[in-house]
Amino acid sequence: MIDFSTKKAILIEDMAEARILQKKMLTDFGFKSIDIAMKAESAIELLRNNSYDLILSDYNLGNGKDGQQLLEEVRCSALIPNTSTYLMVTAETSIEMVMGAIEYQPDGYITKPFSQALLQRRLLKLLENKEKLKNINIALDTKNYDVAIQECRITIEKYPFLQGKCNRIIGECYIALEEYDKAKKLYSKELKKQKMPWSLFGLAKTHLLLKEYAAAETKLKQLMLDNKFFVNAYDWLAKCLIAQGRHTEAQAVLIDALERSPKSILRQIELGRLSLDLKDYHLAEISFRRAVFLAKHSCFNSSDIYLNHLRAIVGIASQQELLPRQKESFKSTLKKVEVFLSESIETNTAAHEIKVQLYLNQNDKINATDAFSLWEDDFKSGAASQPYNEIKEQLSL
Amino acid sequence: MNELDISTILASAIHESKNRIGTLLYHTHTIKNHKEMDTDIDQTVDTIENILKQLNDEWVEYLYLYKLSTNGYNIQYETLNVSEFLDDQVFVLSSTAISKNLTLDFRCKDGLFATFDERLITSAISTTIYNSFRFAKKTITITAEMHENFLVFSIEDDGPGFENDEHDDFLFSQNTGLGLYFCDLSAQSHIINDTSGYITKGKSDLLNGACLKIFLPQ
Repeated sequence: MIDFSTKKAILIEDMAEARILQKKMLTDFGFKSIDIAMKAESAIELLRNNSYDLILSDYNLGNGKDGQQLLEEVRCSALIPNTSTYLMVTAETSIEMVMGAIEYQPDGYITKPFSQALLQRRLLKLLENKEKLKNINIALDTKNYDVAIQECRITIEKYPFLQGKCNRIIGECYIALEEYDKAKKLYSKELKKQKMPWSLFGLAKTHLLLKEYAAAETKLKQLMLDNKFFVNAYDWLAKCLIAQGRHTEAQAVLIDALERSPKSILRQIELGRLSLDLKDYHLAEISFRRAVFLAKHSCFNSSDIYLNHLRAIVGIASQQELLPRQKESFKSTLKKVEVFLSESIETNTAAHEIKVQLYLNQNDKINATDAFSLWEDDFKSGAASQPYNEIKEQLSL
Repeated sequence: MNELDISTILASAIHESKNRIGTLLYHTHTIKNHKEMDTDIDQTVDTIENILKQLNDEWVEYLYLYKLSTNGYNIQYETLNVSEFLDDQVFVLSSTAISKNLTLDFRCKDGLFATFDERLITSAISTTIYNSFRFAKKTITITAEMHENFLVFSIEDDGPGFENDEHDDFLFSQNTGLGLYFCDLSAQSHIINDTSGYITKGKSDLLNGACLKIFLPQ
């Protein structure tokens, strides 16, 4: 039997009534340490500074990020270890979004409304299973993938009902170890046994990693056809198309995916980068503007997002006169990037270049020269790299 | 089974929910006047809770029904331990069963695994059991077993059975609602290698009452 009193829990729920009720339930089960967050953004801060055995999060968290995005962020950035349990509370209408995210799924979910007895049962079962997978998860957390595979095999021996879960982990370990042929064999075998989305997805991924693009494409398209909520399949199809140099098609796929699930920051960044490459500055600006918005309180917050948003506006300025709101947007993002400037010479240099280039693209030589001299000052004090010659030439200095 | 159009489904759903709300109002009235009526409040609250739970389950069913009949439902296959799954089903419905003095249990071999959409089948089984709650005398049993390439859930009771009462005329008959139609659509939406699921209804060999079988291809 699991002893809840030694476990640390965090409860993430935006509705006060539900929060109070669920906290009482957890207290009744014996949990002594329960932290509370009302939205994903504050949850990230708590998750950054504490470790929890149980994360009980609602899917619907108001205006900000939803529970699934929170899960993806904290799992992807390893903010929570594999050993902790993520239980998602969903409504009937949101379950499809959770189930559709094949790459990052919660350990379990419970649909609202639920009784205290049902929550207790779910938690017990989940934590018991987590206990059985403990050695595997410890190995995964320390990136010992060979050990994780061994532990999976031991666990399958001991608990045959965990076979599916363990095989799925083994597949992911092979990919992490870049043993793609082994991964391919495993996924094909699983797929023959039973057509589960994770095995089809895994197989598609390995095809892509083995540069077997046609096969990867067919399988990803099959997944998209099977279930329109498998948005991860869109992301990987875009990667597959980019690898083949089919950038415009990839762009269309990402736009489609973002229509289904617009709040994904990584997807916005991906579309923004792709659009910059395609010199589609308008779309790049929209994507990075959204990414800038989403980056606040995100694990994926980095100076690149802001710099690329600025680059997109610089790009627009090379094609047309900037609208007042685009100028405003530039100013506001420039302000946001300031906190990153002291962190690296590259970031500071990039920001200088962007500023000079923006004035140049607007044929504003006076301000461009001023901006350039600020860059030179920073170079002299060692805060930035040397200004590029081609810019010097453009300024005819 | 004939296809129902969505407005028929909606009208029927509202009709049933309205009846349910009528009963709820009756019970809140009882609580309000409990002093004169000398009623057991705890018991009435339990009853209200059970009715609300059923109402919630029914609305979930209607949402699924709407999605299924408009081709908007994406089936989510999962591989599940069937006896754990049935244990869950019995668990959530046990308080209602107890309040009606009925025994609800399940039979399933340990270690049986099968692949199906957990939420859809949860909803299909609960709707069938709610129906059985109205007709069973003492016992309702759910059985799960493999039969050729199908997982078969049998929900049986010791009531009068389908043949000779309104069990049969499911649509718009008092309370019985859209249950069978929903079970049928849920089963049909499970397709493995061009084989779809289906349901059958008949007499229970085990308990002599009604027996509904849900066949899911594996």
